[in-house]
Amino acid sequence: MQRKKSPIYQLDRRQFLTRSAGFASMAAMASALPRDVLAQAADYTLAISMRSVANPYHATFTKGGEDFADFIGAKFATLVTEGNSEKGIADIRALLARTNGKLILNVDPNDSPDARVIVEDVANAGGFVVTQWNKPADLHPWDFDPHYVAHMSFDGVPSGQRVTQALIDGMGGEGGIVALGGILSNVPAIERRQGLELAIAENPGVELLDFQAADWNETKAFDITQAWITRFGRDVKGVWAANDGMAIGALEALRQEGLAGTVPVTGIDGIDAAIQAVRDGEMAGTVAWDPTWTGGMGLSIAYHSAIGEINIADEPQGHREFYGTGILITADTVGSLGAAEPENFLDFWGKATGQIQYRG
Amino acid sequence: MEAERRGRTDGLGSVIRRHRRWAPVVVLVLLCAIIAMVNPRFIDPFNLVRLLNAAAIPTVLVMGATFVILMGSIDLSVEGVLAVSAVLASAMVANNFTSADFGLWAVPAGILLGLAIGGVNGVAHVTLRIPSFMTTLGIGFVAVGVATAILQGDTVRISDKGFRALSLERILGIPAGVWIAVAAVLVALFIQERTRMGRWLYAIGGDEATARQAGVPIERTRVMAFAVAGAFSGLAGVMAAAQLGQGHALMGQGRLFVTITAVVVGGTALSGGVGSVLNSVVGVLIVVVLFNGMVLMGLPPFAQQGVQGLLIIAAVAMALDRSRLSFVK
Repeated sequence: MQRKKSPIYQLDRRQFLTRSAGFASMAAMASALPRDVLAQAADYTLAISMRSVANPYHATFTKGGEDFADFIGAKFATLVTEGNSEKGIADIRALLARTNGKLILNVDPNDSPDARVIVEDVANAGGFVVTQWNKPADLHPWDFDPHYVAHMSFDGVPSGQRVTQALIDGMGGEGGIVALGGILSNVPAIERRQGLELAIAENPGVELLDFQAADWNETKAFDITQAWITRFGRDVKGVWAANDGMAIGALEALRQEGLAGTVPVTGIDGIDAAIQAVRDGEMAGTVAWDPTWTGGMGLSIAYHSAIGEINIADEPQGHREFYGTGILITADTVGSLGAAEPENFLDFWGKATGQIQYRG
Repeated sequence: MEAERRGRTDGLGSVIRRHRRWAPVVVLVLLCAIIAMVNPRFIDPFNLVRLLNAAAIPTVLVMGATFVILMGSIDLSVEGVLAVSAVLASAMVANNFTSADFGLWAVPAGILLGLAIGGVNGVAHVTLRIPSFMTTLGIGFVAVGVATAILQGDTVRISDKGFRALSLERILGIPAGVWIAVAAVLVALFIQERTRMGRWLYAIGGDEATARQAGVPIERTRVMAFAVAGAFSGLAGVMAAAQLGQGHALMGQGRLFVTITAVVVGGTALSGGVGSVLNSVVGVLIVVVLFNGMVLMGLPPFAQQGVQGLLIIAAVAMALDRSRLSFVK
C-alpha cells in the first residue's frame, strides 16, 4: 500500500508546486518550451517500470525518468515488478485504466515475453511505450505504429570486448585469464562472453584458463576465485567478470590472498564500488551503461512522439530499435567522470550507436 | 540360499543402520579423496585454509538453522536478516554512506538486530499460529524491503580497516572469520548439549504433543530458537560485510539454499527431532568441498548444478534413517 500511495502524494505535491510557481516562472518556462507543449504535458502521465530500486542501475534509470518528467512538468509514477511478471503487467494495466490511456511508459520488462503483453495493452489503450533490454526478437516497434515507439538496449559484445582489452593491457599484454560469467542463458551474459572471446582471439599471448558461471552473484564469484587461486596459482594474471558485482567478489577473494591490486580485475555495469576500485588501481576497468540517459531519453522520445514533435512512424528502423553507448571506464578516464554535462533530453538519438542486431 | 542371501543383506543393513550417523563424514571423506585424486592441489594446505574461509559464513548460518529445523520448523528469513545486519554493520563503521564510526560496536549491533528480527519471527509464528514457513518468508521479505528503502539501491562501502580485519586478519595463518565460526560452533554446541533449551528443541521436534504434556514450555522455546537463529544470521551478516567490504540489500542472495542444503546433507531431518549442529558443520564442509572441487576438477559449468543436485540426493539418502518414518511427504 505504502508504495502505491507515495507516487500519488508526489504528484499532488508536484502539481501544487508547478501551479503555485506557475505565475512567477511563466516567463522562464515559456522561453524554454512552447505553450501548447506545456498544456499537453499536464495531460500525460509519465511512468517507469522496472524490477527494483534496490539495484543501483534501476534506481538511476528511475531517476533519469523523473528528471525528464520534472523537465517538462508532467506527472510521474514509478512501478516496481519485484521480479514478478504478473505484478509488473497488472500494475501497468491499472495505471493505463487510471490515466485513460494517457500514459507514456518506459519499461524494462521483467522477462522477454512480458514485452509483447505490455506493448499490446498500451497500444490498445492508446498510450505510448518504450521498452528496454528485454523483448522477443520478433516483436518490433514498427508493427505497432505509433504506440510502440522504440526499443533500447546495449550491445554486450563490443563492451565486453573493449573491457577485456583493458584487462589485457593491465596484465601487460599476456598471460592467463579466468572469467566469471553471468547466468548462462541470459542474453547480456552471452553477448559479454562473446566480447571476451573476440578480444582473447586478438591477443595471441593471452589464454583463457577457465570460464565459470557465477550467476551474477558476488559470493559465488568469491568462492570460485578462491578455488581458481588453488587450481592455477600464479598463472592467473587477470580476472574478467561479466558484471561489477562478481568483479567485487573476485577482488575480495584476491584481497584475502594479498593479491588485490596485483592481479587486475574487470567488470561491466559501472556501479560505484567498481568505479572506486578503478580509482584505487584494484580494477583495470568497467563499462557504464548510462541509465540516466535510458530512463530520461526513453520517456522523451515517447513523449515527443505523443505530442507530435516526432513522427515516429517515419523514422528509420535504426531509430526504433537501437543500442546506447557503453562508456569504458579505466584508470585513464576515471578522473574525468562525474564532470558529465546534464542530459540533453531533446537530442533524441545523439547517443544511439546503431540498430539492434539479433544474433542466432 | 534364499535364507543365506537374506541374512547377508540383513547383516549389511544393520551395519549401515548402526553406523548411519557417520554417513555424512563418510561422504565428506570420499568426496575429498576423489577430488584429491583428480587434482592433488586440493590437499595443499593453502587450499584447506581457503576451504575453511569459504565455510566460515555458511557455518555460522547453519548453527541457527539447525536449531529451527530440529524443532521441525524452518527459517527462510536467513537472506533478509543477513542483509539488514550487513547493512547496519557497514553503516556503523567508517563508510561512504553515513558519518558514523563506531568501529567494532557494529558487531554486537548486527547480532542484536538479528536477534530482534528472529524474535519477531518466533513471536509472529507462535502467537499468530502462522506456519514458520510463511512467517519467516514474510519477515525475510520485510527485512530486504527495509534495507532497500534505507539504501535506495545504493551500496555502503566500508573504509574501516579494523572492521575488515574481522575477515582479512590471520591468526596462526587462519583467517579471523574462521575463528569466529569456530566460536559460533562452540556456543551452539553448548546450547544444544548443556542447556534445557537444547533438550527441549529435540523434544518438540520429536513429538510436540508429548513434549507439551511433559511440561516443556513449547511457545517460549520456539521463540527462543528463532531468536537465536536470527542472532547467528546477524553475525553472519556482520562477517559478510567484513569479507566483501560492503553492505547492500542483496547481500544474502544465494545463502538460503546453501544453508538448508548443508543442514539436510549433514543428516538433520527436516521433520525434526533428529540431528545436531556438528552434523551441520559436516554438511557445510560437504557443500563447500563439492563446490571447490568442481572448479578444481574443471567440471564444465552446465554440469555442476546437475552434479550438485545428484550428490545432495545421494547424501540425504545415506544419512537419513527412514526406517522409522511411517510415511514420506
